[in-house]
Amino acid sequence: ISINQIGLGHVSRLFSTSIVTNSQETNAKNQPKRIIPLAQSKYESKDYKLPKWKESLGEFVISSLHLDMDKVRAGPIAGSYYYNICREQGLQVEGEKLSPSAKYFYETLKLPRTFSQWFQITALHEWMLFTRMRAMPFKYGRNYQQKLVDRTFSDIELRLFDEMNIHSGRIVDQYLKDFDTQLKGAVLAYDEGFYTDDATLATAVWRNLFAGRKNIDINLLEDVVKYIRSQVYIMSRLSDREFATGKFNFVLPTETVKKLSPEEELQRKKNVIEKYEELEKSGLMLPSEKSNLSYSN
Amino acid sequence: MVRLLEKFPEERMKHMVSFKQTQLNRFKRVAGLQVDTNNNLNGENDPKLSINEIKDMLNRSKGPLGLQRDDLKKIQAVIPRDQFTEQDLKKQLESLKNLMSNKYQNYYDVGDKMYKPAGNPQYYSRLMDEINGQKKETFFSAMKVIFFGK
Repeated sequence: ISINQIGLGHVSRLFSTSIVTNSQETNAKNQPKRIIPLAQSKYESKDYKLPKWKESLGEFVISSLHLDMDKVRAGPIAGSYYYNICREQGLQVEGEKLSPSAKYFYETLKLPRTFSQWFQITALHEWMLFTRMRAMPFKYGRNYQQKLVDRTFSDIELRLFDEMNIHSGRIVDQYLKDFDTQLKGAVLAYDEGFYTDDATLATAVWRNLFAGRKNIDINLLEDVVKYIRSQVYIMSRLSDREFATGKFNFVLPTETVKKLSPEEELQRKKNVIEKYEELEKSGLMLPSEKSNLSYSN
Repeated sequence: MVRLLEKFPEERMKHMVSFKQTQLNRFKRVAGLQVDTNNNLNGENDPKLSINEIKDMLNRSKGPLGLQRDDLKKIQAVIPRDQFTEQDLKKQLESLKNLMSNKYQNYYDVGDKMYKPAGNPQYYSRLMDEINGQKKETFFSAMKVIFFGK
C-alpha cells in the first residue's frame, strides 16, 4: 500500500469536506478494509513481536550500559501508549463508527466534528495525565510530559499534511503554533480550575472544550467536571510504578467512578506492594523491566 | 438561577467572553429581566479594563482556526437552541448548585499527593500567586525555572 492511499483513506471529517469526497471516490476500489492511521508505527501495534535475537540484544545492552529504564520508558509509555489513549478519545475516522467515548463527546455533548475540536478533547485528556505526571519524581515526570507533547505535535503535523491535504509547510506551521497556544492556555486554565474549585474548572471547560458557546447545557458542563475529577481521582490512587508502566486507562465518560472506602484503599495498596515485592525478590525481572520508581505511594 | 449566577465566582483572568456574564444575560432573558445591552468587548460593564489588558486578551486568543463560512454554519447547526421547560430549568439549577458547592472536588478528593505534587510541590501555589498577582516572579526565580524546570 502506498503512502498516498493510506493518507487519503482515513480522512476524518474536517473543515473542508470537498477535497475529502473527491479523493475518496478515486480511491474507493483499492481501499483496505481497516485503515491503519499513518501516524502510527508498526512497532506500536498490539500484535507486533520483536524477534528474539533483537530482544536479547536489547536486554544485553541495557544491562551492560546500566541504562536508566525509567527514562527510556518515557518514550514508549508516555509518547506512545498514553498519547494513543488520549488521541482515541475523540478520534473520528471517515466511514467508521464512532467509538463509545467519541460518541459521548460528539453526540451527547454535541461538539462540532472538526479537527480542532478533536485537538481540544485530546488536550483535556493530556492535561489530566500531566497532573499525575507532576506527582512523579521531577526528573521522570518532566520527561514523561515532554514525550507526550512531542508525540502530539509530530502526530498533528503528519495528519495535517495527509488527512487534511494541506500542501504548504508554512500553513501547517501556523496551525501548529495555534495548537501550541491552545494547549498552553488550556493547561493553565484547567490547572487553575483543578486547584481552586469546581466552578472555575467548569468555566475552563466551557471556554476550552465548548469553545465558549452561549447556550450551554449546564448539566453537560457538570458531567464533564465530574468526569475530569473522577479520572484524576483514579490516577491519584495509582502508585508511581503502576502509572509509569502504563497501567492506567481512562474510564468511559458514560460510566461512574465509585470512590474507594478507606479499607478498600488500604487493601489495594497492600496487594500492589505485595505483588511488586514478590516480583523484585523473584529475580525474574528482565533488565528492561527494572525500575526505581516507588510502588508504595 | 439568576441570583445563583450572580454569586458565581468572578474569573481571575480577563477573557474575551466571560462564562458568568454570558450565562447571566441568557437566563435574565429567560426570566424576563432587563439585560444590559451596552456591554463592551469583554461582555461585562467593566470600565476598569486598561488598554494593556485588552491587548493581552487579543494576543492570547485568535479567531477560530481558518474556518470557512459554511463550516461555521455547520457548527452553528450542531449547537442546540434554548427552549426551556420548567423541568429543564430545575435541572440546570441543580447542576449549577452542584458546581458551586464544589461537590465533585470534595467527593473525588485527591489530597496533597496531587495538589502538592512530589515532582514540583510549589507548582500550584506559584501558579495561583501569579494569577492573583500576589507575588511576582523575580528575575532570578524566573531564570531558575528556565534552567532547572521548576
